[in-house]
Amino acid sequence: MTNQVLTGDTATESVTETTARYLKTRHLKDVMTRYMMAVGGIGVIIAIVLIAVYLFYVVVPMFMPAEVDLAAEYRAPGDSSADTLYYAMEEQAEIGLRADNQGKLVFFDVSDGRVLQEHDVLPDSDAAITAFDAGDPSQELLAYGLSDGSVLLVQHRYKITYPDDKRLISPGLYYPMGREPTRVSEDGSAITQVSAQYDGDNTTIAAVTANSELHLVSLAREESFLSDEAEITRSDAMLPLSRRASHMILDVDQRELYLANDDGSISYYDTSDKSAPVLIEHVQRVVPDDVRITSLEFLSGGISVLVGDSRGHINQWFPVRDENNDYSLQWVRGFSAQDHPITDITPEYFRKGFIAADESGTYGIYHTTAHRTVKVVDAGISASLKAALGPRADALLLEDGRRQLQFWRVHNEHPEISWQSLWGKVWYESRAEPELIWQSSSASSDFEPKFSLSPLAFGTFKAAFYAMLFAIPLAILGAIYTAYFMTPKMRSMVKPTIEIMEALPTVILGFLAGLWLAPFVELHLPGIFMILLLLPVSILLASYGWFKLPDKIKKQVPEGWEAALLIPVVVLATTVAIALSIPVEKAFFGGNMPLWLTNEMGIGYDQRNSLVVGVAMGFAVIPTIFSISEDAIYSVPKHLTTGSLSLGATPWQTMMRVVLLTASPGIFSALMIGLGRAVGETMIVVMATGNTAIMDMNIFEGFRALSANIAVEMPESEVGGTHYRVLFLAALVLFMATFVFNTAAEVVRQRLRIKYSSL
Amino acid sequence: MPQSKVETENEVDYAMIDSNEKNTVMENTGGHAIDMNSLINQEDKLILEDEEPCININDFNLYYADVQALKNINLSIPKQRVSAFIGPSGCGKSTLLRCFNRMNDLIDIVRTEGSITIHDQNIYDKNVNVAELRRRVGMVFQKPNPFPKSMYENVAYGLRIQGINDRKTLDEAVEKSLRGAALWDEVKDRLDENALGLSGGQAQRLVIARAIAIEPEILLLDEPCSALDPISTLKIEELIYELKEKYTIVIVTHNMQQAARVSDYTAYMYLGEMIEFKDTSTLFTNPQKKMTEDYITGRYG
Repeated sequence: MTNQVLTGDTATESVTETTARYLKTRHLKDVMTRYMMAVGGIGVIIAIVLIAVYLFYVVVPMFMPAEVDLAAEYRAPGDSSADTLYYAMEEQAEIGLRADNQGKLVFFDVSDGRVLQEHDVLPDSDAAITAFDAGDPSQELLAYGLSDGSVLLVQHRYKITYPDDKRLISPGLYYPMGREPTRVSEDGSAITQVSAQYDGDNTTIAAVTANSELHLVSLAREESFLSDEAEITRSDAMLPLSRRASHMILDVDQRELYLANDDGSISYYDTSDKSAPVLIEHVQRVVPDDVRITSLEFLSGGISVLVGDSRGHINQWFPVRDENNDYSLQWVRGFSAQDHPITDITPEYFRKGFIAADESGTYGIYHTTAHRTVKVVDAGISASLKAALGPRADALLLEDGRRQLQFWRVHNEHPEISWQSLWGKVWYESRAEPELIWQSSSASSDFEPKFSLSPLAFGTFKAAFYAMLFAIPLAILGAIYTAYFMTPKMRSMVKPTIEIMEALPTVILGFLAGLWLAPFVELHLPGIFMILLLLPVSILLASYGWFKLPDKIKKQVPEGWEAALLIPVVVLATTVAIALSIPVEKAFFGGNMPLWLTNEMGIGYDQRNSLVVGVAMGFAVIPTIFSISEDAIYSVPKHLTTGSLSLGATPWQTMMRVVLLTASPGIFSALMIGLGRAVGETMIVVMATGNTAIMDMNIFEGFRALSANIAVEMPESEVGGTHYRVLFLAALVLFMATFVFNTAAEVVRQRLRIKYSSL
Repeated sequence: MPQSKVETENEVDYAMIDSNEKNTVMENTGGHAIDMNSLINQEDKLILEDEEPCININDFNLYYADVQALKNINLSIPKQRVSAFIGPSGCGKSTLLRCFNRMNDLIDIVRTEGSITIHDQNIYDKNVNVAELRRRVGMVFQKPNPFPKSMYENVAYGLRIQGINDRKTLDEAVEKSLRGAALWDEVKDRLDENALGLSGGQAQRLVIARAIAIEPEILLLDEPCSALDPISTLKIEELIYELKEKYTIVIVTHNMQQAARVSDYTAYMYLGEMIEFKDTSTLFTNPQKKMTEDYITGRYG
């Protein structure tokens, strides 16, 4: 353009034309750039917001309260004049079962109470039903104690067929011990309490008779190898009772027996040896003096005992092993959301939750380990006496005092999640004390997942801590030297080299750390520590030696390249340290330092430990911190350094007092970006740690980080399940942590910038 | 440290000032750029030969790699006077100024020959402690360069790096220096505020206060007013006038009026050579060399 102006007078007209066109395109470009940048910026913000929204969308249902709705209400099916003993439902919650005290078993349609089948289980004798109990709900076993001292076992079973591609559920009865009742009491005194379990092969019947005897009958079924015939061996045991038992329950494994007594105590028996049951303890005062135990039930799994009392409280107890390997029943936690006597407790089949009905017509939905009262519902009836929860915990049958039956639909997807269970210590079954545990799955199916995020968050910060411990000094000091003391030529080689490290995929770093560095560190542990000692010492010695060298030799090295002379020193010191490692280990640590640490110092040692992760992740973080802080230091205006030097400051003083101060906002953001990277880093922590979710700052032990946990467990979690949602919560926590970090960092950085920047 | 950057920065600045200067000269077309009356009317005539020398420069050569920037300079700078270096861009006046406190050391490729002596000591001697030399020879740069600290800490900086941290001593030195730099009344109530909030003229006076806080013997001013407005310039010039009571001042300037106004002696340099060094009134009214006359009358520059 300017050329045209200068060269020709004749071209003036075309000049103005082209100029106008040029100005127009220039303006267009300007506007387009402005909009594109705005769109890009807003797009980024929207993307981040959408990620957060999606995370919330997956996480929030966990914290939604349970919902119940009354689906149907009808007269108790069958003979409604008889007292109900028990209700049950099959898995689809389509067919219900009612057992009454006349020996009738009625299968009915839960949606309208229509009777489908009616059975009379009592044999043709005069014996009346004097006691009743259901076994573990998953066994679908009913035990009738009769007035003639015998016990009848009945299983209700459901067969699912698909005629014409439609599901058809046909209920039926099965008598594991035959139609004839099993005689328990030889003298024929009536059974007052009964409890039984049957697992297909072994049956155990516990019964209390009217003359205060506790009978234990074990029927073991052994199949002969040669023929199909089965042989049943029976063993009997009898213990006299000193207290009157009001409730009795036998656990699903047939190893523990609990009796609730009228005096408010619980007797705890070990029945592993069926022929010789042992009384472990009488637990006195399970409830206060003027309170009765009104309900006793196992939680799913048969370990915890739920004790409902006349105050409306429910307390959870389970046996805890002490140092001597002896068990004793311990109070674990209590629920007191209801205030009328508990009439029935119905546990969930697969989770550690339960529903308790009380005399006022109210029922409560609870979860034990989360210590959560999910919901207390007023059913609007005079009293709720019997309750039965469907196997999927999605349906509830509730009978009131006038034998009116209610059928409720229950939506209670994630009762096991509470603030306490995610972050606080939780006393899990079979544990000696409340603990923070992450254990999302196991080989056993009746296992309870333990979702404590604390060990994972701890692991994340432990990893970041050790990585930063390794990275900060190296990166910052390196940046200071490179930016401030190094000759431009050397800097132009060093800086890109370190920046290339950033491009190294972390999976390679993790792979190297896990498969090469971890065994190497284990083999040369004393050497690693000697490097820490020898390296600074040898560098200082080399510098002093250099300082003392005659000028003539010093002049040989171009100015600013002295640092390159340290390379052989570093290599030599490292080699010497590693070479000395095994002799030193032999001389001082009995030939195996990790073992020595464990045995002599009591410090556990894992091969894949935080030291290895610290080094590997340090390597991943160093380029970030180095590069940003080097830029910050390098861009400190030169007039500030010359100003300081001209006042008689040494280069070191100038660096400490002016350069670092002015570069501090940049160095601070370098640290924060590095920290953000260390917190979110995944592949290295997956590959270089043992991924055990332990909480221990020990540098020689591993950990499990939030990010690694998500990467490892997400593929195996059920979409929409609690585990899946908890993993999303972990992601949300990570997201929030990074967000908070970055925001705080930005605020601090802006303040520092206002204060120190002279640009 | 990337010393090459210093050099480039200066070159850019020279170019900028160069054009400014042309404009100034061209405005005064045909005539003398200097107010001659003020020079002629100076009360008592200064004679260079009678002055007590402070800095002696003997056969001094300086090379940027292979390019010779200073050619065989011989000069005696008188004590407790204001000496000004003038000359066209790239003539080496700033380079020479920076030699007095060895700021040129910061540039890798600089090589020197000859000697510069202050108090009979060659400052290019290898036993000289450069930091100590710079404490005795203070310097103020073209662009105000306060540190991103409070005003108090800026002024106290030179003392603190010498290990003086006694609050009372510092308080006194800060007040004295700020009064000395004629800034005290303007900032005494806000000493803890960041110095970056000062205006250009105030910042430059703060920098001067910072330089005199450590009580140097010599004060080098490298175009101290070229980035300032006329009023600030006036204040700095008044300050220079006061400071010469105590310090030997060497000032590099592109502004010939300024040299004429503030200096007792003026040196004219051209292409790395010292053309003429005379008392200011003689140099401007009766230059001995044709080259000097051409420059001061605005025939080139």
